[in-house]
Amino acid sequence: MKISTQWLQEYIDLDHSPEAVEEALTLIGFEVEGVEKTGLPEMPGVVVGEVLESQPHPNADRLSVCRVSVYEGEEPRSIVCGAKNYKVGDRVPVALPGAELPGGFKIKASKLRGVRSEGMMCSGRELGISDDAEGLLILRERPEIGTSINELFPGGDVVYDVEVTPNRPDCLSHVGMARELAAYFGLELRYPEFTHSFSPENPGGQPQLIESVTVEAEEDCPLYMAFPVTGVKVGPSPEWLRRILVSVGLRPVNNVVDITNYVLLELGQPLHAFDAAKIGGRKLVIRRAREGEKLVTLDDKERELSKSMMVIADAGKPLVVAGVMGSIDAEVDESTTDIVLESACFRAGSIRNTSRRLNLSTDSSYRFERGVDPRGVKYAAQRALDLILDIAGGRIDSDGIQVGHEPELQQEITLDFEFIRRRGGLEIADQTIEEILESLELKVSRYDTSDMGHKWVVQIPGFRTDLEAPIDLVEEVVRIHGTDKIPEAPVRCIGLDADDDRQVVFSRRAADYLAGQHFNECFNYSLRSWEELHKWFSNAGMDSLRLSNPLSSDQSHLRWSLIPGLLDVLKLNRYRKTGGVRFFERGRTFRELEGAVAEVNTVCFVIFNPEGVRSWKTREPADFYTAKNLILNLAQLAGFDLSAEEVGPVPMTNSAWQEGHSAKLGDLFRGVEARLGLLNLALLKAYDLEGTVVSGILEILPEKFEQALPRPTFQPFSSYPAAERDLALLVHRDEMAGAVRRKLETFGRRAAGDSFDLENVALFDLYEGKGIPEGQKSLAFSLIFRAADRTLTEEEVNQVFQKVQDDIAKETSYRIRK
Amino acid sequence: MEEKLQSILERAKQGAREVSTRADLESFKARLVGPKGELTEVMKGMASVPREDKPRVGRRLNEVKGELESLFAELLGAIEAKESAARLGPSIDPSLPSPDGGPGSLHPLAQVREEICSILRKVGFSVVEGPEVETEYYCFDALNTPSDHPARDLQDTYYLPESARFSNVSKMKRERYLLRTHTSSVQIRHMLKTSPPVRVVSPGRCFRRDTADATHSANFHQVEGLYVDQDVSVKDLKALLDYFIRSLLGQDARTRFRPHFFPYTEPSFEVDFSSSHLEKLGSRWIEIAGCGMVHPAVFESVGYDPEKYSGFAFGMGIERIAMILYGVDDIRYFYQNDLRFLQQFA
Repeated sequence: MKISTQWLQEYIDLDHSPEAVEEALTLIGFEVEGVEKTGLPEMPGVVVGEVLESQPHPNADRLSVCRVSVYEGEEPRSIVCGAKNYKVGDRVPVALPGAELPGGFKIKASKLRGVRSEGMMCSGRELGISDDAEGLLILRERPEIGTSINELFPGGDVVYDVEVTPNRPDCLSHVGMARELAAYFGLELRYPEFTHSFSPENPGGQPQLIESVTVEAEEDCPLYMAFPVTGVKVGPSPEWLRRILVSVGLRPVNNVVDITNYVLLELGQPLHAFDAAKIGGRKLVIRRAREGEKLVTLDDKERELSKSMMVIADAGKPLVVAGVMGSIDAEVDESTTDIVLESACFRAGSIRNTSRRLNLSTDSSYRFERGVDPRGVKYAAQRALDLILDIAGGRIDSDGIQVGHEPELQQEITLDFEFIRRRGGLEIADQTIEEILESLELKVSRYDTSDMGHKWVVQIPGFRTDLEAPIDLVEEVVRIHGTDKIPEAPVRCIGLDADDDRQVVFSRRAADYLAGQHFNECFNYSLRSWEELHKWFSNAGMDSLRLSNPLSSDQSHLRWSLIPGLLDVLKLNRYRKTGGVRFFERGRTFRELEGAVAEVNTVCFVIFNPEGVRSWKTREPADFYTAKNLILNLAQLAGFDLSAEEVGPVPMTNSAWQEGHSAKLGDLFRGVEARLGLLNLALLKAYDLEGTVVSGILEILPEKFEQALPRPTFQPFSSYPAAERDLALLVHRDEMAGAVRRKLETFGRRAAGDSFDLENVALFDLYEGKGIPEGQKSLAFSLIFRAADRTLTEEEVNQVFQKVQDDIAKETSYRIRK
Repeated sequence: MEEKLQSILERAKQGAREVSTRADLESFKARLVGPKGELTEVMKGMASVPREDKPRVGRRLNEVKGELESLFAELLGAIEAKESAARLGPSIDPSLPSPDGGPGSLHPLAQVREEICSILRKVGFSVVEGPEVETEYYCFDALNTPSDHPARDLQDTYYLPESARFSNVSKMKRERYLLRTHTSSVQIRHMLKTSPPVRVVSPGRCFRRDTADATHSANFHQVEGLYVDQDVSVKDLKALLDYFIRSLLGQDARTRFRPHFFPYTEPSFEVDFSSSHLEKLGSRWIEIAGCGMVHPAVFESVGYDPEKYSGFAFGMGIERIAMILYGVDDIRYFYQNDLRFLQQFA
């Protein structure tokens, strides 16, 4: 909303500097997005002078030396000049020594090529009046010599572009803004004065120009007023009206239209003027548009309307998209003699809907969308009629037609001012509170309560529908009193028994751990394309991840996994040769489980092993087991032991992983799942990644973090020595080492019974090939036995170890390698 | 006898030069102190030494024996050192670079998020999390946002289809799912679970249907704080934000409250700061957060008595703060993940 200082002066005597006004607007809640200064700044040393004589400069061909009279009865001055467009006797602006021109150029008396010059004659450009830099500004009206240039060119204005929050439609007007500034600066607010009294020629009679106004769309149009005016003379607006509209960015059209715009920006009430001759059948109907009905709006665009939109129509066709924009068919133009002025109140939601659907926002729709004061509808119409009679002439035909009523809005708020002090944290007297509220045109009255106290009743005017409860008045007082008066205080900090959410703790620890393992953390977008999802995860339940209103097709679905994003990162870093090969991300992913999507807390890492990497010292590249270690450690940080979980292949529907070099641990159905290993080489091609990518993704349902982890209890351990036995087994090559290990553990524990522990079974060798039968492999384990209360004897350990071997022979297909 | 001892010692010292392996050392030792060794032989002759000479010769014998022992130890040490050197290979060039990975790093947005949370932890806030997929109730209705509020429009907020079902994001009634536009929804869920006093901070990812440019991103991150207790005032809100901004931006940072409008707070403010530390930005006021006193309607929707409790809430964008703190001029850097960017904040 553009606010002109000159315009504001109509209602308040604002003599503050533009900086002070800008700050005031900001501090009372209207952010100033721009300040534009128009017209001339104060230039005290620039006055009208007359060229009395002009001689060529003795030392410069292109210059002349003039004698210029600037004050009656004073010795003329000698001024050196380069312009050619003047003649002796012309009156021109003269900047005297000491004057400052726009742009900060200071005038001094000085010698130019050896001739003294006591000032400067100015062009329009130099004064900031016009773009004309060709020659001196010749003042053809011959103003009196010595007149200040500011007197000749008044109209310096400062225009503020302010942001008005949606709760304050009353401030989408100059009177509204003046009211706010008046309250803040303690100024008197004047409402516009009317020059005409409204006594129609035909009081109480039927208007001649229109026969009827019918409101069919009642719920969206609670109040409609139409005022006929006959015999207006449509033409250009007077200079002051044109100038003021231009200053706030409007294009003057003609006097009638300009007046409706003026009143809109003055009072915030949108108005519309119809050419009465163009209202077919002399009927106005406020109705819903017919589906597909068309109309050409004033911006020359054909608009197709739908049933949800409201129009003002005549007997046949729509004339105006209600509250938004008129059509060229009912435009007021030079040939118009009779008009019908509309002032109405439309439902905010209806206008917003229409404006959005037509993608057409106007000064009018903007105000209706935010809500106009129904009690200002008639006042605004009268203000406009007053100006029309003044400027365009004409006669008011009748009382006008009113359909609907001003809603009963007698709103008041009862409160104790103590509430304002307590909530606002302010030290402020009752009287000051009362003054502040009154300055905003909220009428305050005090009454005594039965318990010897007081309460205050605050009357809320129709233009302040945002004020509903005592807390709303706290804001008004804090705002006008000044937020800089909120006292300094220490932070209130009473101990509370609450810890960070465990998800937060886990996330932080996981990130610290991975950063410690040379990984760099990434943030990728959560919204991904259908193509990507489809390519990577044919089981992703894509339809349930789809947004209903995506902005673009590459951001149409919720992410199912963090892997594609991290591959983008590898690709970018590969392409830019940054050397980055280890990245991780933590964040939310979305996975379909049994027909519903679960939001999942996910951590994922990638390690790129580029092909043909050159290094003076080659390390073993990362592989599946690198990922396994990282994943198990991460799960541990979340409080989950995945090492005990069954390992299985990743389901084939998930094409992200390289078959035979990847695995799945746990299952999200039970709350925790990890997938890890090599990413599918075929899919890497699209990312120009030549080599392998090792990755791991750990998914945990947020609800798994709800229970606090129990505090661990100390478990005593034996301080006696351990006994170690090694055992190599020949097993089928498809047999999983983990299964064999578990079996050994079972047998060992069973054999040792209660007398001592099998503390650990660790695989230390895996061998296939020479010396091993085809289709078999050798797994060697070390078994650690220990007793809690004594040093184990060779004999008892051997006995148990023998039993383990016997059980293997009896119960499994494994063969012991001697 | 004593001359003999002297000559054994001298010959031993000479012979030591020939010893270079463990085998050499063994035979060297055998030659001197083995059962038939030279020194052993001399010791056998002790019996025939005259009685009065015995203490002196014996002492000399022990001395020579001791000297030989230390000679053996010295030789063994030298052999072991040679063996170790052989095992380790030639000496390293300490100027060669390590082939192992460089330092890891936490993302700048994660670091700023953590810094904000830890400043607030010091004054008793704890960190809570909530879902990114939310429902209209938790994101708007419970936050006093009218059903025709522009923020809820399809133009500005991402919605999920009517058919979408989320197993772990609860609905209040039959409202639509959407992607949360702020983390205030987490505060609603938290208040529904607990009773006052409340002091929580909820960081997280949010979504607005904006076209990406230097200052807008398809998703962004916020931190929101909530404080509920008896008799909380605007003064307490200002005190907290003064503390917060000084902790984050330096003790000379100043704050300014500008009245604003949010449906869920009343009064509402935008918070500006100015600080001499941010030279590039000069002393201008820079917007950093939004805040206000929790609207009574919000308390009603979570079952808190607005007559009894009051409180405040504040929120800020992590990207915006990171841009201010680090001088990053385009939000898209945060989502590109160029290693040269990430490592600057490691």
